[in-house]
Amino acid sequence: MVFNSYTFIVFFIIILILHNLPFSWKVKKINLLLASYIFYAAWNPPFILLLWLSTVVDFFVGRALYTQQNVYKKRLLLVISLIGNLGMLCFFKYGSFLLENFTLLLNAIGVHFHPAKPDIILPAGISFYTFTTLCYTIDMYHKKSKSVKNMLDFSLFVTFFPHLVAGPIVRPLQLVPQFETEHSATGKQMLDGLLLLSLGLFMKVVLADSMLAAPANAMFGISEVDAPFLAALDAWTGVLAFCGQIFFDFAGYSTCAIGVALCLGFVLPQNFNYPYASIGFSDFWRRWHITLSAWLRDYLYIPLGGNRNGKIKTYINIMLTMLIGGLWHGANWTFVVWGGLHGFYLWVEKFVDDKTGKISALTSSSKKTITGFSYALFTFFLVNITWVFFRAGSFVKASEILKSMFGLHKTVYPIFTSIDIIKVVTIIMVMLTVHWIMRNKSVLEVAYKISWWRLGTLWAIMLLLLIWSQESSSGFIYFQF
Amino acid sequence: MPTSNISKALLLMIALVSIAVVSWELYLRKSSVTIAYDDGPPFWSYKRALVYQPKEKATVFTGTSRMSYDLDIETWKKITGGEPIQLAIVATSPLTVLDNLAADKNFKGNLIIDAMEEGLFFGDGNIPQQYINFYNGVTPAQKASFQINHLAESAFVFLDKDNFSLSAELSKLQIPSRQGVWTPPVFPMEFTRANFDRQHFMTSKFAADTGLQNKVRTIWNIHHNFFRDILRIDDHTSDSIMHFIKTAVGKIRARGGEVLFVKLPSSGAYLIGETRDFPREKYWNRLLEITGCPGIHFMDYPAINHFNCPEWSHLSQPDAVVFTKEFIRILHEEKKWSFPELPVN
Repeated sequence: MVFNSYTFIVFFIIILILHNLPFSWKVKKINLLLASYIFYAAWNPPFILLLWLSTVVDFFVGRALYTQQNVYKKRLLLVISLIGNLGMLCFFKYGSFLLENFTLLLNAIGVHFHPAKPDIILPAGISFYTFTTLCYTIDMYHKKSKSVKNMLDFSLFVTFFPHLVAGPIVRPLQLVPQFETEHSATGKQMLDGLLLLSLGLFMKVVLADSMLAAPANAMFGISEVDAPFLAALDAWTGVLAFCGQIFFDFAGYSTCAIGVALCLGFVLPQNFNYPYASIGFSDFWRRWHITLSAWLRDYLYIPLGGNRNGKIKTYINIMLTMLIGGLWHGANWTFVVWGGLHGFYLWVEKFVDDKTGKISALTSSSKKTITGFSYALFTFFLVNITWVFFRAGSFVKASEILKSMFGLHKTVYPIFTSIDIIKVVTIIMVMLTVHWIMRNKSVLEVAYKISWWRLGTLWAIMLLLLIWSQESSSGFIYFQF
Repeated sequence: MPTSNISKALLLMIALVSIAVVSWELYLRKSSVTIAYDDGPPFWSYKRALVYQPKEKATVFTGTSRMSYDLDIETWKKITGGEPIQLAIVATSPLTVLDNLAADKNFKGNLIIDAMEEGLFFGDGNIPQQYINFYNGVTPAQKASFQINHLAESAFVFLDKDNFSLSAELSKLQIPSRQGVWTPPVFPMEFTRANFDRQHFMTSKFAADTGLQNKVRTIWNIHHNFFRDILRIDDHTSDSIMHFIKTAVGKIRARGGEVLFVKLPSSGAYLIGETRDFPREKYWNRLLEITGCPGIHFMDYPAINHFNCPEWSHLSQPDAVVFTKEFIRILHEEKKWSFPELPVN
């Protein structure tokens, strides 16, 4: 089920009613759990078995990890959890990719091996719930928090439908305590939640789907044969359309998720913070998919040694984290290169910052300066270069698109109509302006500052555009990750 | 701002949205706009799931826009007593749908294919493939959303994605485009309405208004000029397409199904162009010869060869009723097809 569907509206109304009826807290939690299973099963019912397996295994392994004193047994239990979770992820998400590369490797060394292409369906949200359960068992191993006492709370922690399929990736301490005591939304939470849900749907349905998806798909959907004939204006239009689409799609989903949870009385962590106003790449990763960046920092970069073992090791750890982060997004080498490019940018930035200290000063200052703005624009430009690898699907196409962006193709044919270009440029300009203005603010903070009639009018415009766009039920880009 | 002010903002939002939506709906109804349905993948997928009925009870139709305009579903239902399942997709090739049905071992029914050469030999297969992909991967949530959407579309005139959505309204601006960029045509709303049987029809206003008709005729002219060089294939290519059709048809017939081709009426410049560009002996005759399927060509039957298509390519709704009646008669009497409500031949 997706938030931008009629089914979800009906589902959510029923859940809201049930959650506010005078049932015991345990019954309400069971309702939420069953609702979450229905939410998930509405995609592909059999895959719910995987979710159950992951939940049951990690609940018991987590509990055993917390109480186990023997170091070797603890390690064994952690390995079981890692193999279980990552094994499942590898099979479903990377099975075809691994086999394809293994075949290429064998063929390269002269062994003729041509296996049938496996037909594996990727269960929705597997990357997200795997990371959720993994952080629990790792936390239990390090005794960072207490083990969850009962299966109901743990199941709800893993399965709670607002975050289940595309995050925000929650930590046990962020959500489990909220299930221990009765939670229902206060009037303020309900209003804030509805406002965020409207904003999220507006971003997803109006901006990502209705306005930007078509130009992004048209440009990136071009064949490798036609790609060398792309004009610079068309290539940039397509890339900017995708840069807006992926932000509005994913930030829209996260905003919906936070809003839906808030309407039920639960608080989920923030996942996006105006990333296109980032001053540099460290700043970008503190603003883009924040819960994933934090996960990778806490469960990969720091365990690898972080910045504790000298400069060279720090650089290696940064690159490893970004490469794995890239691969997490999709089973293709283009995603690895996307991660690698971000790693490289972080390297350069760290090198410059270590020498001058200027970038940290710019990022940490709440004052907006021309230098900061210029560096933010430069960051945005470089981020767009990385999106080409993220979306192109093949290196041949990515390289042709990049050549087009820099005007290196001589014979070119236009593909976009004037209205397409006007649409994309207007939305991206407005997006950048809003990101810059809102860089150090939050939506709710601003909503509470402006007058009620202004807020009401803006809210109405968002909903009217939402109704007017007449787009429904399209999937979210990040479901495939 | 205190919470009470957010409540006021919420109430203002509800009031503004309600006023705007109701006003818009009333305005459209006053302008005689009627209910129409989004003919996208969910709708097609819903109909695709119905093809497994016994062949005595249901007939499947595929093709391009002509099939969805010219077959009057209500007339078919009333006369034959059977269920017509319209799978034609506007401006595409029927080959993709044919291939999909041929590969589906559970489909053993009757299939009628629109043999308009432009669709059959040159039509786009990507859009039908997207529809088929949607059908193959449709989730329970999407099925439920389709049903709820159907209720909403049946109640509100403004829920008409092709004509009143934000994207559609932006397309109507007709901002001059860059040289060499193909811009999708914007058809008058009166030309393309779709009902819940996936039947397209032009409104009576369109059928009477030569200005609107000329707009569509101009689109056909521009379309033909733009694609003139593409609408040519050599004998080898056309033969390979026909052999592809033969293989697909063979699979359906091997399972007990029946396949028939129909060449639907056109008139005016469109008919002249089709007669010139797609000579009957090279396309229609050869199609029937290679596939071994029966066919009904409108020019062969006086009862259906006289229609004047308002924009040269599709029948008006009253003519679609007449055509459908005659078509059924030919199918029953000449082609010996049997239908629940008609006497056995």
